[in-house]
Amino acid sequence: MHAARNISLCTKDCLCLFVCPTGATDTETGQIDFDRCLDGCRLCVDACPSHALYLVMDNYPEPKRKSAQIAKALQVLMESKSAQETVASSLALEAGTDARKLLAKAFAYSNRILSEDCGREAGFMLPQSAVVRDFLVGLLDQPFDEAFPADAVRELLELI
Amino acid sequence: MSDAVDMAPAALSAVCSNLSKACAKQLRKREADLFKSLSDYFNSKVIRVADADLNQLEEIAKQELAKNYPSLMVIAEEAVDRGTQRALTWGKKVTSIHTSLLARYQKQKDALLENNNLYVCEACGFIAVAAAVPDLCPICKAPAARFTKIS
Ligand code: SF4
Ligand code: SF4
Repeated sequence: MHAARNISLCTKDCLCLFVCPTGATDTETGQIDFDRCLDGCRLCVDACPSHALYLVMDNYPEPKRKSAQIAKALQVLMESKSAQETVASSLALEAGTDARKLLAKAFAYSNRILSEDCGREAGFMLPQSAVVRDFLVGLLDQPFDEAFPADAVRELLELI
Repeated sequence: MSDAVDMAPAALSAVCSNLSKACAKQLRKREADLFKSLSDYFNSKVIRVADADLNQLEEIAKQELAKNYPSLMVIAEEAVDRGTQRALTWGKKVTSIHTSLLARYQKQKDALLENNNLYVCEACGFIAVAAAVPDLCPICKAPAARFTKIS
């Protein structure tokens, strides 16, 4: 567990600089130096008057499994959102007017967000979960073409 | 094995773009970039629709509102799955706003956007047609900073 700073909330009052025992709060990037942050210390989080500091976990509990029936139905809805995204992004490429193009882009963008939300509720919420690991392992078995970034999948399985 | 791997490329891309965002929120930049590269790969595999038109969007959205949302809501309520109920509540509203936006566009055509911009809420997908960015998302209450202007 380490501290992190939301730069857009930080008012530069510098109380975190006073309390940090390792100097991890004082960096040229504005972000906490994660390597120097002491696991579970949280002194700066409690000291910050702007609620700009928070804790990021290294390990998360395994999420509660979704019912298979709900996960399946959400995947169906997700595919439907993605189908709309595809129609809209195709439309954006060939739209005759700027307004039409913008509208198509907005529909593509919105449907991507809706699709992602269905995906989260279908179980793809936490990258470190067993559902995501199964998914990544499954991707490696699929017959994708040679452009498929299999190395990225293997590295992810190492990292998460 | 996960049956999700059989989904269409656009859906696989969305699974990966969502996981990329989830890694970015944990400030795991490398993992976020890797999921992003997967998402980009699947995006490049999406087969464009040759004769795409706005009616197709309306048709699919209406189908979802008549079938997918009501039936999913029943099983989500039975299972007391609050997270899914939340996604369905927002998603249904956003989708019905899609259909009314399409209807408005059919009537007003490009004049709809004459003095307006399009903003999309990053949290729920709500599309705002407005001259300036909304203060608050009317669907999910996300603040103005979570809206993306379409350009
Ligand atoms: S205490 Fe909070 S507001 Fe002050 S410098 Fe640190 S992060 Fe910024
Ligand atoms: S949690 Fe403790 S060690 Fe880590 S940055 Fe904050 S004050 Fe420093």
